[in-house]
Amino acid sequence: MTIHEGAQIPKWAMERVDAQRMKTMAAILRDPYPVHWDRDANEAIGYGGQVINQGPLNLSYIANMLMAWQGPHCIRRLQVAFGRPVLDDDNVVATGIVDSIDEVDGERRATCTITLQRDGEDVVTGTAVVALSDE
Amino acid sequence: MSPVETDVEDAVPEADMLALIGHEFPGGSRRIEHWENWLLTDCTGFDQLPDGTVHPIALFHVPIQGSGMTIAALFALGRVEGAGSVGLDGYDWEYFKPLREDVDYRVDGRVVDVERCSTDAGRIYDRFVFSIDLTEPDGNIAARVTNFWRLRR
Repeated sequence: MTIHEGAQIPKWAMERVDAQRMKTMAAILRDPYPVHWDRDANEAIGYGGQVINQGPLNLSYIANMLMAWQGPHCIRRLQVAFGRPVLDDDNVVATGIVDSIDEVDGERRATCTITLQRDGEDVVTGTAVVALSDE
Repeated sequence: MSPVETDVEDAVPEADMLALIGHEFPGGSRRIEHWENWLLTDCTGFDQLPDGTVHPIALFHVPIQGSGMTIAALFALGRVEGAGSVGLDGYDWEYFKPLREDVDYRVDGRVVDVERCSTDAGRIYDRFVFSIDLTEPDGNIAARVTNFWRLRR
């Protein structure tokens, strides 16, 4: 089926953001920022009892949506802005829509509006450029 | 200048921050091993990728670490510490080649912009922008990241 402007990208959901994964991610990133693993440290900033998901993990859910749609090598560019923090136990859903399609360097590329939403609120917004697989 | 702004200026002078524009990171090389990619991909909740393909989200920590920096070193450079001191404004990540496990990427980075700003509520912060390139052993650029951080004062 040919991808066209206005096409919806199939959604990708992280049904429950997991604090344990944040800890593993903090170790991989060598990230000393306590907001990702120390619930007590977040009392002072109004998120007491919870931890804040890493920005890269929030973006990863969008990347997962794009790879599930067009394959593991499809992403050419991600430009995103981050809004409100995502917390442990949140349910978030990546969504996207094709804005335009162009021929670049011998491949068809879709420029897409992308979002990560929590309860209908956008927490990550931006644009992705995706190489479309042979159709 | 308000008393709050004066305190901020005393603690972290704007001139000191602006002087970071053009600051080069040490540079270096970085290989992504299978175990690391496996754990990273697992953290995202996605299936493992085929043929040694690295999850695209590796473009956060691999460039930073490969450039000879750490997140802690970036915090120190930006003179921030503690919960709530850093915010993530955005990324612009370009992928010119798929990233692969067990490739030695050359990594070079620098601070490209700093700007002192204030929120609508008058809270002072520095917009801190750095960019890092990953280059394959044959000299072709594989990826470029530009990250936009908010360093709160």
